Amino acid sequence: MFGKGLLTGMRVTIGHVFGKKVTFCYPEEKLEMTERFRGGHLTMDYKKCIGCQLCAMACPNKALTLKATQDAMKKRHLTSYVHEMGRCLYCNLCVEACPTKTLAWDKNYAISSWHREDMNHQVLTDDDMKYLEKAMEDAKVAAAKKAEADAAKKAEEAAKAANDGGGAAN
Amino acid sequence: MNEFNDNVAPKTETFVLNMGPQHPSTHGVLRVELDLDGEKVIRVRPIMGYLHRGIEKLLESRTYAQGSPFTDRLDYVSSMNNNYGYCHAVEELCGIEPPPRANYIRAIVAELNRITSHMVFIGSLANDLGAVTGMIYTFRDREEVLDIFDLVCGARQTYNYIRIGGVAQDIPQGFEEKVRKFLDRVPEFMEEYADLLNGNEIFNVRLKEVSVMTKEEALACNMTGPNLRATGVPFDVRKVDGYGAYPEFDFDVPVGENGDNWDRYQVRYKEILESAKIVRQALDGMPEGDFMAKVPKVLKPPKGEIFSRTEGTRGELGFYIVSDGTTKPYRVHIRRPSFISMQGLNPMCRGGLIGDAIAAFASIDPLMGEVDC
Repeated sequence: MFGKGLLTGMRVTIGHVFGKKVTFCYPEEKLEMTERFRGGHLTMDYKKCIGCQLCAMACPNKALTLKATQDAMKKRHLTSYVHEMGRCLYCNLCVEACPTKTLAWDKNYAISSWHREDMNHQVLTDDDMKYLEKAMEDAKVAAAKKAEADAAKKAEEAAKAANDGGGAAN
Repeated sequence: MNEFNDNVAPKTETFVLNMGPQHPSTHGVLRVELDLDGEKVIRVRPIMGYLHRGIEKLLESRTYAQGSPFTDRLDYVSSMNNNYGYCHAVEELCGIEPPPRANYIRAIVAELNRITSHMVFIGSLANDLGAVTGMIYTFRDREEVLDIFDLVCGARQTYNYIRIGGVAQDIPQGFEEKVRKFLDRVPEFMEEYADLLNGNEIFNVRLKEVSVMTKEEALACNMTGPNLRATGVPFDVRKVDGYGAYPEFDFDVPVGENGDNWDRYQVRYKEILESAKIVRQALDGMPEGDFMAKVPKVLKPPKGEIFSRTEGTRGELGFYIVSDGTTKPYRVHIRRPSFISMQGLNPMCRGGLIGDAIAAFASIDPLMGEVDC
């Protein structure tokens, strides 16, 4: 009978009118992102970062720009870490390259912005900057202490050498 | 005296119609120049380049490891298969042997991706023929697989999961359960599609014995994949080359008879079931061990060139890579099956009606990301 196939198809669609819903109302209900979800902004534990630039080197599109400074103790600290989201492929290569495993995604999927400048995301927070200031101060103090200790040690050694020298002369 | 010669039928001028670049059934941005004689198609000329991103050149300016995220963007509904093709080529170039577990995981994700890709095909074919509802059904079920991929690699479309030497991460907990649950549902929803579309009279009339392509024509156009198999040639790189873990699986290669639209649809429909069979076998026989071979951090393949092929969802996906011994490839060429299948558009549509050109185009299943590269 012509039209039989059409009716079979209609039966399928009508069956779904009364069936269970497969969608949900998005802004009211939200999906939880999976553990490995790649998306949103990059986050990091500032204290763990050693400023090695491996993430920036692994990036295929040069989307990461790092600026680092050295404290008085010759330890590297980041001063700026910009993630250009417009260039990012979300390929996860930077996260995998990190030797201290401090880089991660914040799993925020609502990242659209009004302006292009908003796509350049500064990963470091204000707290990180405060930490940096404190670390620089601490390093200065530590360096001064170390210099003092070194000087004292040197003086001691010099004195010892003088004594030994004196002993040899005798 | 008769002024007009009765023996000559009245002639109309041929008319050139531009279909696209923004046409709902061109699956992206493709312009098709149709030479029409009334409603009859005389010649079809696909004009491409609207989505050209220069991926081959981009690969040449990146290191080998940095190249794989770009292959995601070739055929973006089956990224796993593209990743597989690229990594397979680089591995052959460097002589890296991926561990057996990696091969099994690769087979699972690649076949799941093939299922989703063919689902998109069935959905968009129905959509192009006017059955918009058909699209929603296939996309609903595709969602399940995308959720599985999200669990495995954290992305739903551009996976970058298969890497040189293996896969990026081992399969997570709960993966096998989810895949098995999906596989149990495959026959159920395939039956639903059949009820919805296969018996539909309009669907049958639009597809059966329309846009026929013979074996010889398909081979002359260098077609591969489901489009070639629909004409009756049982050519499948998974069987012919037997790369990866595929020789260990038992599966059939579905072939068509007439090479018409219906056969192209049916071949893909049956391939979904075959892929499901492969995934089930791979899950059952999954070996323990590493998921990644030992690959040096800075990969410097020896001087030389390689052409390696794998079976993508749309046909034979080939990567030709020339290495000059540095960290970046000297030349990359990608043999994209959709691009080559586009050649078949003219022999398929010639002599047919203008409405059938849409159906023929949808049945080739080209993807503009891959055509323009």
